[in-house]
Amino acid sequence: MSTEIKSPTFPESVVDGTVANWLKREGEKVKQDEVIAEIETDKVVLEVVAPFDGSISKIYKQAGETVVSAELIADFSATTDSSKAVEEKTPVESIKSRANKNKSGPAAKRILSNKEIDAEEVAATGKGGRITKADVIAHLERTESQSVTPENLLVTEQDGRHVERVPMSRLRATIAKRLLEAKQGTAMLTTFNEVDMLPIKNMRAKFGAEFELKHGVKLGFMSFFVAAAVDALRAFPSVNASLDGNDIVYHSYQDIGVAVSSERGLVVPILRNAENLDLAEIEKSIIDYSQKARDGKLEIQDMQGGTFTISNGGVFGSLLSTPILNAPQTAILGMHKIQDRAVVVNGEITIRPMMYLALSYDHRLIDGKEAVGFLVNIKEALELPERLLLGL
Amino acid sequence: MKFDVVVIGGGPAGYVAAIKSAQLGKSVACIEKNTDDNGKQKYGGTCLNVGCIPSKALLDSSQRYYDATKNLNGHGIEIQSVALDLVKMMDRKDKVVNKLTTGILGLFKANNVTPIEGTATLLSNKEILVKGKNGEQSKVLASNVILASGSQPIEIPIARWSTNITDSTGALEFSTVPKRLGVIGAGVIGLELGSVWSRLGSKVIILEALDEFLFMADRQIAKDVHKEFSKQGLDIRLGSKVISAKDDGKNVAVIYQTANGEESLEFDKLIVAVGRKPYTKDLLAEDAGVDLDEKGFITVNNHCETSQQGVYAVGDAVRGPMLAHKGSEEGIVVAERIAGKKAALNYDLIPSVIYTHPEVAWVGKNEAEASQSNGEIKIGVFPFAASGRALTSDESVGFVKIVADKKTDTILGVHAFGPSAAEIVQQGAIAMEFGASAEDLGLTVFSHPTVSEALHEAALAVNNEAIHIPNRKK
Repeated sequence: MSTEIKSPTFPESVVDGTVANWLKREGEKVKQDEVIAEIETDKVVLEVVAPFDGSISKIYKQAGETVVSAELIADFSATTDSSKAVEEKTPVESIKSRANKNKSGPAAKRILSNKEIDAEEVAATGKGGRITKADVIAHLERTESQSVTPENLLVTEQDGRHVERVPMSRLRATIAKRLLEAKQGTAMLTTFNEVDMLPIKNMRAKFGAEFELKHGVKLGFMSFFVAAAVDALRAFPSVNASLDGNDIVYHSYQDIGVAVSSERGLVVPILRNAENLDLAEIEKSIIDYSQKARDGKLEIQDMQGGTFTISNGGVFGSLLSTPILNAPQTAILGMHKIQDRAVVVNGEITIRPMMYLALSYDHRLIDGKEAVGFLVNIKEALELPERLLLGL
Repeated sequence: MKFDVVVIGGGPAGYVAAIKSAQLGKSVACIEKNTDDNGKQKYGGTCLNVGCIPSKALLDSSQRYYDATKNLNGHGIEIQSVALDLVKMMDRKDKVVNKLTTGILGLFKANNVTPIEGTATLLSNKEILVKGKNGEQSKVLASNVILASGSQPIEIPIARWSTNITDSTGALEFSTVPKRLGVIGAGVIGLELGSVWSRLGSKVIILEALDEFLFMADRQIAKDVHKEFSKQGLDIRLGSKVISAKDDGKNVAVIYQTANGEESLEFDKLIVAVGRKPYTKDLLAEDAGVDLDEKGFITVNNHCETSQQGVYAVGDAVRGPMLAHKGSEEGIVVAERIAGKKAALNYDLIPSVIYTHPEVAWVGKNEAEASQSNGEIKIGVFPFAASGRALTSDESVGFVKIVADKKTDTILGVHAFGPSAAEIVQQGAIAMEFGASAEDLGLTVFSHPTVSEALHEAALAVNNEAIHIPNRKK
């Protein structure tokens, strides 16, 4: 018995993905639910699992090829006569119904059908969004030239020195596109402040062990920043808003993205309704997400939405930076390295663990006064954590 | 009087712009000076009054006469005597013209366009001075002005208009069939009018200064057309430059220069059909702010905007081919742009037609143009001699030719010489407007038997897949 293996159903916002790699070869024995392939979309890596015990009988989409939602990528056959009956679809049927969906001319339809190309992948230049034969030929040329996999990267020599040309991974390409869009599509600028971390350090020293014992997670710095951000966002609703065309969208909730680095790049999972979370819950959520990111198991819904973002360059040792907005959000908070510095407190020079804070914001929506006030609010909450407790 | 849009000129560019503007909710006036003998306004411009329509009426009548005298016999129809009643033929033509020109006034009424009679001059600030036939003057104000003043035949110094030297307008009104008819210029007008009178019995000689016949057409088409028309009795002399034409009131003595020296001919009538020029007489006051180019055309950009804001110009008075359908579409585009819509005209896909018998038509690029602009191209040709429908109608002259891009198969040009060539090429124009490939036409079902099947087979031939002719050896 055999069945079709299809790429996962992508959410609406995801147009297509790339077959990142096949973990199993054709004919290799696989157990049910074992991961056989990974599909990389611009947001996450999705896993494709074996539907039952058996092996891949035919791979249609090689690593590096583009796939759309629920597209046929392989045939899979069972090792034994499985009792699970799987409905078998003839490939001809699915092609026909797909080709009929578009309004393109007959030649374009014929090639799309023969080459098993989804019409939605092709950039149409004809009247009313119609795909012309020239469009399909251009698409074929593009995809054929794009299928450069790590095995056949382009190596050229200049003056006896090697230059390697490798296509960007989908995740990288998306990051590149989004960052550029944020830079070009917003009036972004950054305001700075610094925070004396001594009170929080003292608190962690005093209650850290007890906290871990009770909640099973370490009391980190991040939870304080999230709590301080929640407090400040409440005071400055526009920092928690987003811009949609000419409209300002205010959110009644605070979904805070926490930038987490993973092998494949920086990802930003969201702490949902951060305003309802206590410090222990915040810490637990962050640890869960970090683990998932490391395992490449973050799901798309983990990263969708978000009304504000906290980025921590400090873990890599950065002393000062200007983070880029996560559009359509209108502000992002940058944390940095805690460094002992000589500061003046009550007229005396003293050594304090200091951290620079940066707030990049979209000046179209947020005035300088608000941005500065917001950052001061965070600074004060961190330097006097009692204020958080008292709701001040 | 003040209007949102005032159109100067009631030809196919102007009256269409006026109707479209009115449909888009504007208050519109259209100024036209042409009147009939009773002083009633005559809209329709060159096209309806002295161009496309009357010439087609005569082309059709003369072809019927020609068939009756020459062709019907072959179908087994014996006609004892065929007589030509030229007065009646002309009368029919005039009736067709009148019906269509009156129709425009009806359309104006239905669309609430105000017709204004008189000669219009654009002053500064979009103010228009209108002078009536009897010298009365009035002023019209406009928010937007569309200039559609048209064109007129070119008069050449060596052959001034006289009793027997005439332009295309006069050639539509001969009271008798000239025995010896000379035509200067083997262009669209020369060929059409030459055909009319040749069919009615004139001995026609066409003198063309250029060495190349139909320089704007595909070479393969031009060659076939030349051959066929010569066979029909049109004596087309290329490389023949007229150096003098003298009308003594009875005969016209023409002297022309060829590579072999001077030659002379005598005609009863001489038609000068060397082209047309933009007509802008009295149209623009000095401070109107509208520029003309060195050839006298009103200077416009791609959207028909002149150098003066709010003043547009369309049709024969601006750059581009002098064709009614080009002018009409420009009128539509301008009306839409005035109404704030986005509109543009695809100047690459304006079909051209010569209404001879058989017709000659094309759209897009010819073989030479396509290979120059696109590099590698493919050609598909299908002769009407292999078309069942054409053979049944005794219309097996000519062929359909499709030029396509070698790599993408996109159709770059469709050319036809043969029965209903204009209609066949129009099908190609529609396909091209949608970015069709030759394969697209090949995959389309055509009725059998039709002459349009030649288009289908030519499309198949592009990729060596024709059924009814042998394909090129690969």
